[in-house]
Amino acid sequence: MFGWTGNILRVDLTQKTFRVETFSEEFAHKWVGGRGFALKALWDELEPGIDPLGPKNKFIVALGPIAGIPAPNTGKTVVAAKSPLTGGYGDGNLGTRVTEQLRKAGYDMLIVEGVASEPTLLYIEDEKVEFLPAAEVWGKGTYATNDWIYERYGRRVGVLNIGQGGENLNLYATVRSLEGRSGGRPGMGAVMGSKKLKAIVVKGSKPIPQADPAAMKKLGAADLRTVHEMDKKSGWSIQSTTGILAWCNEVAALPVRNMRKTRHSDAWKIDGERLDDARIATYGCPTCTMHCGIAVRDREGRESELDYENIGMLGSNIELFELDQVGSLNYLCDDYGLDTISAGGVLGFYADAIDRGHVAGDFRFGDGERAKELLRLAALREGDLGNLLADGTMRMARKIGRGSEAYAMHVKGLEVSAYNCKLCPGMALSFGTSPIGAHHKESWVITFELNQTVRDSYDRGKAEKVIELQRIRGGLFEYIIACRFPWVEVGWELEHYPVYFNTITGLNWTLDDFWKVGDRIYALMKFFWLREMPDWSRKMDYPPMAWFDSANADTDGPIAGKVLDLEKYDGLLDHYYDLRGWDKRGMPTRKTAAALGLEDEARQAEVFGRLED
Amino acid sequence: MKVTVKMTGSFVHTAGFSERTFDLAPGTTTDDLLDMVKIDKSRPMIVARNGNAVASGEKLEDGDRVVIAPVFSGG
Repeated sequence: MFGWTGNILRVDLTQKTFRVETFSEEFAHKWVGGRGFALKALWDELEPGIDPLGPKNKFIVALGPIAGIPAPNTGKTVVAAKSPLTGGYGDGNLGTRVTEQLRKAGYDMLIVEGVASEPTLLYIEDEKVEFLPAAEVWGKGTYATNDWIYERYGRRVGVLNIGQGGENLNLYATVRSLEGRSGGRPGMGAVMGSKKLKAIVVKGSKPIPQADPAAMKKLGAADLRTVHEMDKKSGWSIQSTTGILAWCNEVAALPVRNMRKTRHSDAWKIDGERLDDARIATYGCPTCTMHCGIAVRDREGRESELDYENIGMLGSNIELFELDQVGSLNYLCDDYGLDTISAGGVLGFYADAIDRGHVAGDFRFGDGERAKELLRLAALREGDLGNLLADGTMRMARKIGRGSEAYAMHVKGLEVSAYNCKLCPGMALSFGTSPIGAHHKESWVITFELNQTVRDSYDRGKAEKVIELQRIRGGLFEYIIACRFPWVEVGWELEHYPVYFNTITGLNWTLDDFWKVGDRIYALMKFFWLREMPDWSRKMDYPPMAWFDSANADTDGPIAGKVLDLEKYDGLLDHYYDLRGWDKRGMPTRKTAAALGLEDEARQAEVFGRLED
Repeated sequence: MKVTVKMTGSFVHTAGFSERTFDLAPGTTTDDLLDMVKIDKSRPMIVARNGNAVASGEKLEDGDRVVIAPVFSGG
């Protein structure tokens, strides 16, 4: 078997033991890697209904056949577990040297079980696995932790770590790497924290098995150069993802004031032009030539690496239009190991609840200084307020009550990324049907929707496009694994990816083969939900209700007086389910499961809820 | 008639301006405008007029605001 090491490293933190397991060619071909491997392992191994922050949850690091092999933007790793934030399957990807190092150490997946008796650093070097004390950095942020690790192991090792957010079980704590990289929005850092796993350090020395390494080396090097030239020619990296902010503001899709508003006259103060002007450094992931991390000096003089989602949620969503202050909030999230999107959503929701008189508090929109203190409280779970903020928007709304769920901007418990969909039905469907919650990485249909369709239409074509993008973004790029930016930002054709895959594995797959894997993964993620939530209903695939609330409509601008229509959204959701071969609840039918090779999983799912034929 | 053009992302640098108001002859279309601002029309882009999608060849009107953006992923 080429392309895969064929090995899984299973580590038990409770017993301080480990073993190497192998996986079959059939498993590799069916689930490919990354999200596919992690999901299948969690489906097979987790008991239904377990506490995501208890000892029975498992933390997984999963890689794919392309991961770590030099080619356009292959430096990504998937981290996964049952999510403490949503209760369903949760994952995320991040750029890290772990990608290459874990593959070179001889593993395609790391499964971490149990709970350590003390803060632990898990060190992996080929066949050597060590459980090392990490009490010295427990309680410290990710920057100090990273430095501590680099001092001991050098800067070339692969590192995953958590900050105080993960240690204190903040439900939107992420996993961090390489100073500026984060992944695992649905609380993957909290799962590491629950296991007292402060960091994973990986060093590998073996070649990654490939069918034709010489051809891949030549191809990968040439394509990295080409993508770099395409990027330079297009100028994308000048503003990187932050170029989107000005556009969102123009087309009334910017998150402003907990998404009550879609535009703001001060948005230019934090847009891509201002960010480029303030740039002091640029960062990227391994094997990437499109460095998208733009670092600026924050209010306290620290270096803070920003992208659009950070600025949209920690800036405009809380009506903070001072770039250095937004940089400060971003720095704190990165250091505490908190997801910037969810943190911005939580702060926006809290300010909104105070503003509406639903909860007492002293935080106001635009108050950057108070926001810094609130992030600290949330990361440390300090006091009642810290605990409230650390639980995320969905649980905050339940605690606050008084109808606050009406403006709680989340899907399945995961806060909405920085696109305000008051009048973007297709993007709302993308968020609604994302099986991990409202994450933009699954299907980013907003530009297609606003550019090539009637904006407030709910036709079948929009559902088709959402699925097409889910197959690419939530599918292909999440399991082979690679970053999607070369494809969407500079026009690097998707057809390159089967070529890489086939050169590495010796197989002869087409894109259609990949789409089927993506559909299989999406179907199993739905079964995962059914197992955890037998009373699942299609309402779990709804976007936030605020987008249907006419009282929330803009009073001026391009979409004045308009919001989403719930009845029409239901029709769009029906199209989506029909196209996927799912029933009206949003569960795959037996027939669909069989066509995807999920007969066994469907039988197991039916213990928790009947599937339709 | 006066039409304001807002560039976003890399097009700011391609066109050499972020926002500019043009004095245009009546009947000027969005395609005409793209020629004037020197954006390569073969590049994937998003053009919106007053915040909403615009059809190719659509005639502009006095007071319009046109935003021209490269296709983004968003992060």
